[in-house]
Amino acid sequence: MNRTHKLSIILIAIVLIALFSAGCAEQQATTTTQPTEIKVGVIASLTGPASNVGKNMWQSAQVAADEINAKGGVSVGGAKVPLKLIVGDDESTQQGGQKAATQLITGDKVDILVGGYSSAVTSAYEQTVAEYKIPFVVTGASSPIITHRADIDTSYIFHHCPTTDTYGQYTTKFIDQVVRPAVNAKLGASADRPFRLALLYQDTAFGKGVQTAVNDTITKEKLNIVLVSQQSFKMGESDFRTPLTAIKAANPDAVYLGAFPNEGAPAITQGRRDIGLNTIYLNVENNDNAQFYKDLGQYGEGAIIESRFSPYTAPAGTIAQAQDTFKNAYYAKWGTYPDMMGASTYEGVYIATQAITNAGTTDKAKVRQALVDLNMPQIIEAMKGGTISFSKDYRESQFDLWMEQLSYNATIGECRPFIVWPDNLRVTGFVLPSWYTPGNA
Amino acid sequence: MDAGILLQILFWGIYAGCIYILLATGLNLIFGVMKIVNFAHGEFLMLGAYITATLFLFSGINPYVIILFSMLALIGIGAVVERLCFRPILGTGKLNEIFLSIGLIYVIQNAAAMIWGDEWQSVKSPYAGITVPVGTLTVPLDYVIIMVVTAAILCGLYLFLNRTRTGREMRAASQNRKGAMLVGVNVERMDILSFGIGCALAAAAGTLWVVSGQVFNPYMGSIPAVKAFAIIILGGLGSIPGAIVGGLLYGVAENGAAYFLGGVWKDAISFVILIVVLVIRPTGLFGERGE
Repeated sequence: MNRTHKLSIILIAIVLIALFSAGCAEQQATTTTQPTEIKVGVIASLTGPASNVGKNMWQSAQVAADEINAKGGVSVGGAKVPLKLIVGDDESTQQGGQKAATQLITGDKVDILVGGYSSAVTSAYEQTVAEYKIPFVVTGASSPIITHRADIDTSYIFHHCPTTDTYGQYTTKFIDQVVRPAVNAKLGASADRPFRLALLYQDTAFGKGVQTAVNDTITKEKLNIVLVSQQSFKMGESDFRTPLTAIKAANPDAVYLGAFPNEGAPAITQGRRDIGLNTIYLNVENNDNAQFYKDLGQYGEGAIIESRFSPYTAPAGTIAQAQDTFKNAYYAKWGTYPDMMGASTYEGVYIATQAITNAGTTDKAKVRQALVDLNMPQIIEAMKGGTISFSKDYRESQFDLWMEQLSYNATIGECRPFIVWPDNLRVTGFVLPSWYTPGNA
Repeated sequence: MDAGILLQILFWGIYAGCIYILLATGLNLIFGVMKIVNFAHGEFLMLGAYITATLFLFSGINPYVIILFSMLALIGIGAVVERLCFRPILGTGKLNEIFLSIGLIYVIQNAAAMIWGDEWQSVKSPYAGITVPVGTLTVPLDYVIIMVVTAAILCGLYLFLNRTRTGREMRAASQNRKGAMLVGVNVERMDILSFGIGCALAAAAGTLWVVSGQVFNPYMGSIPAVKAFAIIILGGLGSIPGAIVGGLLYGVAENGAAYFLGGVWKDAISFVILIVVLVIRPTGLFGERGE
């Protein structure tokens, strides 16, 4: 091998080493480069039938962002980085949701997503989220299919709100343990009289989830409850007179509504005022909303709401203080009170930023792993064990729930909620209103 | 099957039909005279609902009286929309009308959202809670008033179209536009008037929607507008008796379907009926060839 040849080999080796080193340095720079801002996409229904709840979610997210930025921003790798929220309006439709998710992911290039209300809408754009592998903390859509479905990879999707399975089961047990004995006592009936329950549910993944949960709970727990009528309606419906007429004909002891607030309030009003169906109306948690109370007026008297956050009440203790602080901050910024979906979205922003902090990077896979490993103290809602973490199977956080009964306050012209169950949280007992008419069959 | 329940459902169907009748009659009047396709007609129902609700909340005046103010306001709004939007494109092709009216939907919805907010709202009728016997049924007074008001408006429209000179001119413009022009009818005046009256009928429908306790928001008009189109096709384009029969048929069919087949069939059944009728009688129930 001559001198020139040797020199050539050395030069090639130097070039290769230099290129390899540069590649490593570039790769290192990629992973250690500090982001200039953390971009959190918030998907909410700012327009369309669900806009009341959607605005509450978006406004609550902004309260959380203000608090985080007031403390310097999000901690990433030891430095504070400003938090920027970008909203995507799903327009309360599947097409709108798809458009919003695509824009946030591919246009705005957000680091993580938070929000999602209607299960039907959210499940429509989940595929896009799965394809791009964007961590998504769902804070409103309550159908279990959000993380249980097997047709797409949902491993980047985390569920931070109780599912219809959870609260459907919880409400059915409340009916069995509290409402059923009270109705039997009023009738002077024996304890083995079957309770006559009717369902009025939205014909979507959410409403059908409630229906399935109630049916499954009655079967699995062998509860003495018979479903005398199961009526469905389209999302956004405002005329419930015919299904309520059918329900009344079935002589129910109570009606469980799987409905949004803009559906639940007119359903109860039409049931009490137009149909004369003077019964107990049980509502799912998303109805614990200031507009719901306003729309119900006196017709809400005696109604039940399963809840975990209310604009007007909270269980005594540290959670009440935390909720009050949030409500006051929200009121100071927006002049109204937040609702439950707002509360979980507020927490969702904190969860998202905590995951980025724990990951020390905005790398999607690492943020996802940080969410899997998350174990942070509860924020404003009571969590099982006092911490927010996601289950290993379907990535669902576990909430402590309660049941409220509404009482009409003639001075303000609206109902207000009082916790009646479980016993360790209740401030008063469940009562059947004087006008209540039980099923007579 | 309990006959009482069927009667009750029939009653709710007639109530729903009243709102459809007013909306579809207005749409038919506009189509009859101007031959335009206005997909934004539901937005005038929405505006009527908001105007009534706003006046009611601020003044406390009986909403069944406010319906007159609401209708007058929509005659004015309708006249402006006709003059500024539809007249310039009249006769330039159906596509222009369709896209213009779709554009109007967004403009009117967003304007309403800016003025009133886009959250759903509801108001309570002063007669809420009062019931009256109707045959074997006991029904809320509001629904009886709604049916009476609808009948009164239709009677008023009939008298206007048949007993006044302007009404006869409007019918002439509807039957033969060129012929009407030749005999001295100011068809542009008829256009603006029919558009205004059509919008006023939509406002009446919106008012009755509000007083019946249904929630409303700026996006409420789209689905009723689609149904109104289906009704006028079912009843026969340009036929006011067709709109009345079609509206009633839709109201009853929807509520019957919700009871017998489930709530998800409520909208679908209307279009099933439409398809069946068009297959059997392509001109609709009361339509004439050539419409």
